[in-house]
Amino acid sequence: MAPAPLLLAVMLAGYAAGALAALAARGALGRGLVAGCALVGALAGLLLGAVCLGAGLAPTFTASFLPLTGLALRLDGLSAFFLILIGVVGAAVAVYGFGYTEAYEGRYSLRWLGALLNVLLLSLSVQVMADNALTFLMAWEAMSLSAYLLVLTEHDQPGTVRAANWYIAITHAGFAALVAMFLLLSAGELTTSFAAMRAASLAPQVRDAAFVLALFGFGAKAGVVPLHVWLPMAHPVAPSHVSALMSGVVIKMGVYGLLRVTIDLLGGGPAWWGGLVLGLGTVSALLGVLYALMEHDLKRLLAYHSVENIGIIFIGIGAGLMFQSYGLTTLATLGIVGGLYHTINHACFKGLLFLGAGSVLHATGTRNMEEMGGLIKRMPRTAFFFLVGACAISALPPLNGFASEWLVFQTLLGGSAIPQPEVAVIMPIAVAMLALTSGLAAACFVKAFGITFLAIPRSPEAEHAHEAPRSMQVGMVSLVLLCVGLGLAPFAVVPLLGSSLAGLGGLAPTAVAFTLALPLHVPGTFGQMSAPLLALGLALLLALVPLVLRVLGADRRLRVADTWGCGRIGQTARMEYTATAFAEPLRRVFAELYRPSRDLSIDFHPASKYFVQSIEYRSEIHPWFERVLYDPLLHGLRGAATRVRRLQGGSVHLYLVYMTLALLVLLTVARWRT
Amino acid sequence: MIGYVLEVAQAALALVLAPGLVGLVRWMKARLQNRRGAPAWQPYRELGKLFRKEVVVSSNASWLFRAAPFVVFASTVAVTFLVPILAVPLPFDGVGDLLVVVYLLLLGTFFLSLAGLDPGSPFGGMGASREMTVAALAEPTVALAIFALALSAGSTNLGQIVARTMTAPGAALSPGHLLAFAALFIVTLAETGRLPIDNPATHLELTMIHEAMILEYSGRYLALIEWAAAVKLLIFFSLLGNLFVPWGVSMALTPGTLVVAVASLLAKFVVLAGAVAVLETRIAKLRLFRVPELLSASFVLALLAVTSSFLLR
Amino acid sequence: MDSAFSQLCVLGSSLVLIFGLILLWRRGVTAYINAFVWQSTVLSAVTATVGYFGNDRELYWVAGGLFLLKGVAIPRLLRRMERRFAAERELEPYVNTATSLVVSGLLVLFGYAITRPLVALSQLPTRAGMPLAMGLVLVSLFVVISRKKALTQVIGFLMLENGLALLAVLGTYGIPLIVELGVFLDVLMGFLVMQIFIYQIHETFESIDVEQLNRLRH
Repeated sequence: MAPAPLLLAVMLAGYAAGALAALAARGALGRGLVAGCALVGALAGLLLGAVCLGAGLAPTFTASFLPLTGLALRLDGLSAFFLILIGVVGAAVAVYGFGYTEAYEGRYSLRWLGALLNVLLLSLSVQVMADNALTFLMAWEAMSLSAYLLVLTEHDQPGTVRAANWYIAITHAGFAALVAMFLLLSAGELTTSFAAMRAASLAPQVRDAAFVLALFGFGAKAGVVPLHVWLPMAHPVAPSHVSALMSGVVIKMGVYGLLRVTIDLLGGGPAWWGGLVLGLGTVSALLGVLYALMEHDLKRLLAYHSVENIGIIFIGIGAGLMFQSYGLTTLATLGIVGGLYHTINHACFKGLLFLGAGSVLHATGTRNMEEMGGLIKRMPRTAFFFLVGACAISALPPLNGFASEWLVFQTLLGGSAIPQPEVAVIMPIAVAMLALTSGLAAACFVKAFGITFLAIPRSPEAEHAHEAPRSMQVGMVSLVLLCVGLGLAPFAVVPLLGSSLAGLGGLAPTAVAFTLALPLHVPGTFGQMSAPLLALGLALLLALVPLVLRVLGADRRLRVADTWGCGRIGQTARMEYTATAFAEPLRRVFAELYRPSRDLSIDFHPASKYFVQSIEYRSEIHPWFERVLYDPLLHGLRGAATRVRRLQGGSVHLYLVYMTLALLVLLTVARWRT
Repeated sequence: MIGYVLEVAQAALALVLAPGLVGLVRWMKARLQNRRGAPAWQPYRELGKLFRKEVVVSSNASWLFRAAPFVVFASTVAVTFLVPILAVPLPFDGVGDLLVVVYLLLLGTFFLSLAGLDPGSPFGGMGASREMTVAALAEPTVALAIFALALSAGSTNLGQIVARTMTAPGAALSPGHLLAFAALFIVTLAETGRLPIDNPATHLELTMIHEAMILEYSGRYLALIEWAAAVKLLIFFSLLGNLFVPWGVSMALTPGTLVVAVASLLAKFVVLAGAVAVLETRIAKLRLFRVPELLSASFVLALLAVTSSFLLR
Repeated sequence: MDSAFSQLCVLGSSLVLIFGLILLWRRGVTAYINAFVWQSTVLSAVTATVGYFGNDRELYWVAGGLFLLKGVAIPRLLRRMERRFAAERELEPYVNTATSLVVSGLLVLFGYAITRPLVALSQLPTRAGMPLAMGLVLVSLFVVISRKKALTQVIGFLMLENGLALLAVLGTYGIPLIVELGVFLDVLMGFLVMQIFIYQIHETFESIDVEQLNRLRH
């Protein structure tokens, strides 16, 4: 393919130029150059992916720089899909960032912010094209470090450094697991190409160990429960366009890595692999949304939803892996396609939501939902964009979240095809949990949108909010259009995704079997639906109903009056329902999980206790995995560190003794090992 | 062609019958409680009156408040095109399956809850919060009931389920079906705001869910919402009636079978309305925090339904 | 014919199980006793059905005995106890109602998984109901563990016995009448012993809350 190398060069050059330009230029010019170069790079990457997928032939492009650096790149269907994902979100984020970073001028280092953003995009793009372990790991580390530094942008804000520390600690634990995994797969030689790893036949125990390590490493990056604790800390404190990129794309690298290693390199495995992924996915989805419900920091709420959606993606992939182990390849492809479809959908709507939250933060200066309200009148466009994102993430038809969840549901329903009924009964449980998750997500986004944008402002900041600048709106609009487009076109997206998977890990090339007909009827499953017709019907009805009312002569008068408040005149924001109150019923229902601590102190009037002067109510929840898992872990770590510190005597001679001893031991081992 | 005509006719029939169905339940309930009760066509009069009244909108409300009734109404009416009310198979059967139906209804609930929050009234917020809680907790039961039906019918598309049950009548009496029916019946009560989850007849703030949410609505907006709620009841009744006891549904699309279909549909509605009326007379409303217990009971029923479908495979 | 038989068995077993679940959902002892009566009635109906389709006359006698003992006699004794302790409702069990119900659903699935080899071996048309019977046994055990009032626990124990009886009927087309009679006697004896215990507990602690037994330690 002629254009492919060209596009690759443009993409790499764009990102590199962006990084350099950020360091060189300042002010609006600098921001413009950063945004422009990143946009060029992202669009080139997008085109590259589209060209590869559109051509329909899987590996189209290989480049090896082996002699010089040990780097090797290769582009196949899966890489192309993720390149598109990076390009889509990267482009929107680049444009949005131009307006958003204006407020950073003079406060934080814009040079590093711009440079690191481009480095992050570059390392992501290289990551998905890596063709050997060394390239993969180097890109992975570059991605982790640049994301770490980006999280640290607002380093003087409380909590930022702590969040970044958590992030880097967990991500490096994952990195260690990945290095070990690749060492296992490549028998100690990291420059072994992926093709050789595919061909290698390993003992089952080694494969199992590699899978577990991969699941740990990629799960830590993806933010799967219980390795997700960094996610709700780190994503909110990063600049909002970076949050969008992190939630939309960076955590998806965990999904990419898992697919690349388990399906492609290992070629699938026993049923328990899939079962484990499915179980982790189910737990992540449910816990993610349950903790999101209790969150009143808008960006933290969105971050918890990332955990939820990663869970849904893992459900699809896990089901796919299970089907693959039973030889049901059509269903297996369908499950993974469902997971991938949700991956790109989540990238679009979560990117959109984070950008929307960024606009709100930009306008009001706070992330606390309890201080917002009434923004729909002050920033109507942002409100509309956020509403589209909220509907999409709540899986409401005809938007994209529904399309992919429908596909995942259908995959799970196909679970009855598994010959072992005691394994098959896992599927209805997953179906129920997925349904509960999506119902709770809808409840959570009624809260998020309703409390943030509707009714009366709860603070002066919210009252004086302003609409986001044009460039930020452009960034959001592009994602809105994608949310709608991806929702309307499952009949086109599903075959495309099927073709991107063809040939991976013995998955049957089922792409042809996914029909391009309007009603999406996927082989091997039960259902049938047609998103475009559904949307058309809804739109027709929406237009018809007012028309019919007018024709029939319904009364059209409209009077504006105060909200009814039991006869009280003059409604204030204090009479509104708050986010805490909104979530209260669900907190009661799931009290055994949340174990909320309550603290109520009332100041009575000195004369009589029937007159209350002030009430202070505080309620907190402490997530159980922190309680059960991380607190003991940290405690133990601290204890171990204290003990190790005793080695540190402060005397130079002591250190020299250590070094000498170490040298002696090494020499001994080297001499007699063989 | 006849299929498309039937689709429209079926939706129109649903729209026309729905208020009468609500009136029928109310009338039966009144008779059971030794009251004379308003006639069954009272809801038509109410709707007519509401459509002729002026709308009062809160000064805090935004465009969303004014758009929500239309979204709710449109999504509910869209569902009537997908549900087999009179005949199968209809041309729109492939447009949406049972999952689409569930999520379309959730779309309406979502917008109605947002509209409840929009005027900034504490009642609206309370109603919205409770409505979403109940809706979310009912979701797993619905999904499992769908699973049970799909297992025995081999499809989630409604026309297929009806056709399959008709060809294998034994399936209708299978334990999986019966348990799924029981589970879905409880969900019907929850989703349509009937006792013991919600009380459709009260405006007492401690007990109301749906009524609290739409407290700020008036005039034609209220009419649309009430009508949509009635259609929702009819949809659930048709699902209960036609998915589990499909006899009477026309498969040949001839005038004779269609007459039978209408007659059997009305008969099923009367039976179900009677069941709801008896239930609402016999039991009191549950405390709000007992509702999750009821829903988890329905969840267990649905889980049993799936299990016994697996058992008999 | 066989399929109708096996459907009837599953249906009956499901009903027996659902009446067992009422223990987790309701709070009043009256409701528990009614559930037990209904459960025993359905159980004896299932036994009679198995007798009819399996051409086993003896099972009619077993069904009759079941009904008389568990549908009439024991409930009568239970009602007498209830009149005495009616004020004590199951208000705060160790596990709350919603969680209990979900747990019991999972227990049923577990029962399904562990009886799988049994069902696979069996050729009887009744085999499909066995997982549900096993589910009832597990759920009843859960009731006994998670509820505090002695009366609830007694009913839980009786339901456990019903589950075992159901398992026996479905798994082997009924055990010989003489063994069944022995079991009846055992149940009756066990029940009487428990009755005496409950009266004793009540006399000592003025309550039938078994949590009170913790006080014996001191």
